[in-house]
Amino acid sequence: MELLPKGVAVIFGFLKSNDLSPLEKQLHRSPLFASLTPRELKTVYGLVHERRYLADEIVFDEGEEGQALYLVLAGRVRINKARENGYEPVAELEPGAYFGDMALLDNTPRSAQARAIGDCELAVFFRADFIALMETDAVVGYKIALALARHLGRRLRNFMGDRPQIELM
Amino acid sequence: MDEHRSGPVVWCAIIGATCLLLVLMERMLWLAIPFVEGIVLYYVLLPPTQRLLRMGLRKNAAVPIVYAGATLILLLVVLATASWASAPSANGQEVVARYVTGGLSFLSRSLQALEREFRLLRQIHLSETVNSGFAAWTDDFLKHRLAGVLVAAAGWIPSLLLAPFLTFFFLRDGRRFKRFLVRAVPNAFFERTLFLLHEVDQTARRYFVGMMKLTVIDTAALALGLWAIGLHSPLVLGFIAALLAWVPYVGSIAGCVMVVMVASTDAPDNALIAYSAIGVFIAVRLLDDFVFMPMTIGRSLHIHPLIAVLMIFIGGSVAGVAGLAMVLPLLGIVTVVGQTLGQLVTNSRLRARHRYTRALRMKQASADL
Repeated sequence: MELLPKGVAVIFGFLKSNDLSPLEKQLHRSPLFASLTPRELKTVYGLVHERRYLADEIVFDEGEEGQALYLVLAGRVRINKARENGYEPVAELEPGAYFGDMALLDNTPRSAQARAIGDCELAVFFRADFIALMETDAVVGYKIALALARHLGRRLRNFMGDRPQIELM
Repeated sequence: MDEHRSGPVVWCAIIGATCLLLVLMERMLWLAIPFVEGIVLYYVLLPPTQRLLRMGLRKNAAVPIVYAGATLILLLVVLATASWASAPSANGQEVVARYVTGGLSFLSRSLQALEREFRLLRQIHLSETVNSGFAAWTDDFLKHRLAGVLVAAAGWIPSLLLAPFLTFFFLRDGRRFKRFLVRAVPNAFFERTLFLLHEVDQTARRYFVGMMKLTVIDTAALALGLWAIGLHSPLVLGFIAALLAWVPYVGSIAGCVMVVMVASTDAPDNALIAYSAIGVFIAVRLLDDFVFMPMTIGRSLHIHPLIAVLMIFIGGSVAGVAGLAMVLPLLGIVTVVGQTLGQLVTNSRLRARHRYTRALRMKQASADL
């Protein structure tokens, strides 16, 4: 699908460079986007929003309608599940991990609360952008959906033997 | 997102805000019309631009390439239409004068025919009264208003050139602007704001893309009908009439009057063609309301039909023809914004989270003081 010979297009600056920015490299390290080519990654990068959260700030609440998936770029995030005597931590996520992934598939309420442990940076992938990507760029959409399905499958297997993992969904 | 239905206060605010925007739009028509044209052009050119971007082109290359392609296609269409449709000897002014005269004589003949049938109409001299009224209006228009209308029309040209300029930057910087806008939103309201912007975009897209599809279908249906009754240039006439139909009610009537004028001028001795043209318009109007509109625009704006009709009247009285054309998409967008803001304002948990974040920021900023 090349419009011009690659050398000519690159000389005149028509084509995007394959060099990745620091944030694009961070996205590439995440299992969700690991299978994307540099060009595909740049498409995804154009859709991602960067957010900064303070220590102890709530990212989203349990029961809230989910609209986006969050990817930890820096800092750590704790996933809490509401119990009778307050919130119980069920997982702590490091850079490269992602959460709130069920929101990418449907708009069911969040199953747990997400809270920043320290100051952190998150990349946010909005569901409507993902759905649009599936329609306009099926290959990128398929790669992300496959990574998501593998992740959910792994979590389901863990859930069969290790019940608290379901809270991450 | 619509788990909480909006109450009467939100709806009053939505209608009030729509009216206010209509008033502002009427005052700034020189900007509002190119802006709307720019949005329509944006939705037309967005898919090919996105396709080039996905093929690996930079935005700064993809947008000019799409622009060049669109300009080339437009030039070819204009050249093809010009070489196929018009008689080279007649200038525009003569053509308009010929069709206006033809239309007026058709009206005069129709009124005389009515007078022959109905004694009451003969007694009140309907034909004479209408003809003298038209003559006086035409005389007044030519002597006092025509120059003003032409100057005003010429004044619109620079403003209309703004549309492709706006579209260029919508295509090139639209997403960057959205990210810039979202960055200013507090974390607590971030997801809802993303959803709001998405819904505003979807509402505008559904309406304008639906209207474009409707224009194509209307053009085809009208062209077929006008070709069947034997009018010349049915495709051009159908296209102009379909474009005029973007203005509810008034636009359809204006399109019908235009076609009747052409029909009565081209076949002055055969009134049946003009009456058939009216029949074609009524048939296409009915198809539009019951088949084409549900297929294209449907309930894209999610507005109750009663409110839509009331708002069309309000739009017309507040902002004239521009108000008639723009009231529905404007109401659709204001409804989305109003309902989402209503949900944000009434969501005490989100507001509490925002207050808590501000307190955290204050605490962090003053930690070593």
